[in-house]
Amino acid sequence: MSAALLVSVLRDPDVVSALDEAGWNALIAAARAERLIGTLALALDERCVPESVRPILADARLDAAREARQALWEADRAAEALGEPVLLLKGTAYAAAGLKAGEGRFIGDLDILLPQKELSQAEDRLIAAGWEWVKEDAYDDAYYRQWMHELPPMIHRERDRMIDVHHTILPLTARPTPDVEVMLADAVPVTDRLSVLAPEDMICHSAAHLFADGDLAGGLRNLWDIHCLYCEFRERRPDFDLALLERAAEHQLYAVVLRALRLAHGLFGSPVRQLGAPIQADYCLRWSDRLFIARLLARDGWGRETRKLLRFAFYVRSHWLRMPPLMLARHLLTKWRKGHRPV
Amino acid sequence: MRHQLSLTIGPASFRIGSAWRQPLQQLAELYEGYPRPSGETADFTVRLEPTALLRKWFRPSIFITGDHGLADAAPMSLNHGLLAAEMGMNLQMALGWRRHLLLHASSVEKDGRALVMTGESGSGKSTLAAQLGERGWRLMGDEFALLDLVTGELLPFPRLVSLKNGAIDVIAAEVSADRMGPLLGNTAKGDIRHLVPRDDAVARMRVGARPALLLFPRFGHAVDVRPVGQGEVFMRLTQASTNYVALGEAGFGALTRFVKHVPARAIDFPSGEDAIAMVERLWEELA
Amino acid sequence: MTAERRYHRDKDAVACVLEDITLLYHRASGQTHMMISPVPEILDALDEEADSTAAQLHALLERHYDLGEPEQAIAEIEAHLESLTALGLVCRS
Repeated sequence: MSAALLVSVLRDPDVVSALDEAGWNALIAAARAERLIGTLALALDERCVPESVRPILADARLDAAREARQALWEADRAAEALGEPVLLLKGTAYAAAGLKAGEGRFIGDLDILLPQKELSQAEDRLIAAGWEWVKEDAYDDAYYRQWMHELPPMIHRERDRMIDVHHTILPLTARPTPDVEVMLADAVPVTDRLSVLAPEDMICHSAAHLFADGDLAGGLRNLWDIHCLYCEFRERRPDFDLALLERAAEHQLYAVVLRALRLAHGLFGSPVRQLGAPIQADYCLRWSDRLFIARLLARDGWGRETRKLLRFAFYVRSHWLRMPPLMLARHLLTKWRKGHRPV
Repeated sequence: MRHQLSLTIGPASFRIGSAWRQPLQQLAELYEGYPRPSGETADFTVRLEPTALLRKWFRPSIFITGDHGLADAAPMSLNHGLLAAEMGMNLQMALGWRRHLLLHASSVEKDGRALVMTGESGSGKSTLAAQLGERGWRLMGDEFALLDLVTGELLPFPRLVSLKNGAIDVIAAEVSADRMGPLLGNTAKGDIRHLVPRDDAVARMRVGARPALLLFPRFGHAVDVRPVGQGEVFMRLTQASTNYVALGEAGFGALTRFVKHVPARAIDFPSGEDAIAMVERLWEELA
Repeated sequence: MTAERRYHRDKDAVACVLEDITLLYHRASGQTHMMISPVPEILDALDEEADSTAAQLHALLERHYDLGEPEQAIAEIEAHLESLTALGLVCRS
């Protein structure tokens, strides 16, 4: 399993000194498939890397630098269009705040968080500045607006970049209901027009996404984000773990954050410590964690996803988590009628 | 994967995995004269997978993907497996190559200088390059031309030449049968047959040339030659490049240098013979 | 009062003058802009005098070019500055 190889290299880059040609091919294919190639390129020491791999890693570093620059530009354009500071989420936030989690990271769409009451005004302003709806599909549109935690995705007419405007961090149908008001109030400015979530909220948000939203596809990278964020924040503040778990409890995300930390500790060796009182935290892997790990590592030496049945189970599970059962049936039916399959 | 093959074409190396033997066997035969990578890590992984599990045996249908892939790529029939493998490699180059500015163009070389031809599919650039490659020019590539970001040199990417429809008989009449691949009928682009480049094109696949003339050919029109303004050349080349945006300032530098220093003409021609005469004349005048 | 708006140029860009067009590569956005007159002239004038109003740029450009009726020319310069601002090549001071 080459996702496991990727994890062991990210955890300890010296592992590469033992790799042969097949090992390197598998490592590069897995890193590209998991969109961790930029991260890998920054983690490795050139001197331990064979001649033929160096240009591959150099390309990945250049791509990552360009991604970051473009992501920050999109953020700047959104702030210009909205006429007020913008709260960034995920990759763009890590890059804007200069966090280690942002280094070499693949950044796709721009994700921003707004208070719900500002949503319709923001929509108008983005449209005036050149963004437009990606698809005019009545079902998806109604679905997004009624149940999801964001506007339907928009794309900029000229720059061809997507923006996701969120007003809550999980779908309205999901069981945990994190307190967005608190997150918005505690946001930390990074420039005069951009801000990011407070450190605790950043991890809560990332963990909520890892488990409660999506089918764990791309989960390895999300978990690496959580590992990097946790390491960096704990280094700044030794009791950060306490603050994080307290905050997670406020957001009804205690179990979710704890599982994320268990997995990050188990796979990447995040420096967690057992806590007794007042908050209890035990980082030994549970039986159910092993299923998650199997899912996260389902990638072979050709970059293919393996374990199709397990992946399907996670797909159904992810919908179960964010929708009440009857709605789930209706949703799956509509999706499947349109030819969508969890491949 | 069950079957695999490694190939080097110009500066790029590929590891191709396939669920079926046939496409790789055909590929190995046609690329027999090319150097084989040994002990190196491939720049790209290409995968030819069944579209669904049963599709490996039952009306086999190939999904082309790899390090870089398109989610909505149309599946291909196993009869076109050779084409699928070629498309898989092209896809990796088009989406993933960063070491040169990649132009969707054919190119040939003479005396250390390169002629670059770009245009839509069907413009005749590929056939023209193949014909010139049999008449005293070195074929550098029929699909991608690689522009060095630092030196401004043009580098070859001499993969198999993909001949379409009418061009197939024209070239088959000129070259020995062992340099032609199997006829692939009824593909999305009509009939396709591959041509193995001449030995010198393969032997010198790492030797670059200074770009000296740019042509925008158009097949099927009365003979005509028109100058093309630098602004238009720049715009058309950005459209013909799959990685111009990804290369950022380095791509801007390489492309503006090319546009400023390489004379450009649009040429129309009704037949291959007319085209060759026009090319030789313009080469004398401008290059 | 649009006439009071002040502009400066985002200097993080590199230009290339071709025969018939001027290209501008803007580093922050990674975008290449193709510009024809009078846009390159307006950007050059902004280089010379940072934090200018459209009227001040007009005064500068008028020395080298025949711009016709001033009031209309100033309005046109202001419109160009606004669209350059939307592209991020020019910022309001």
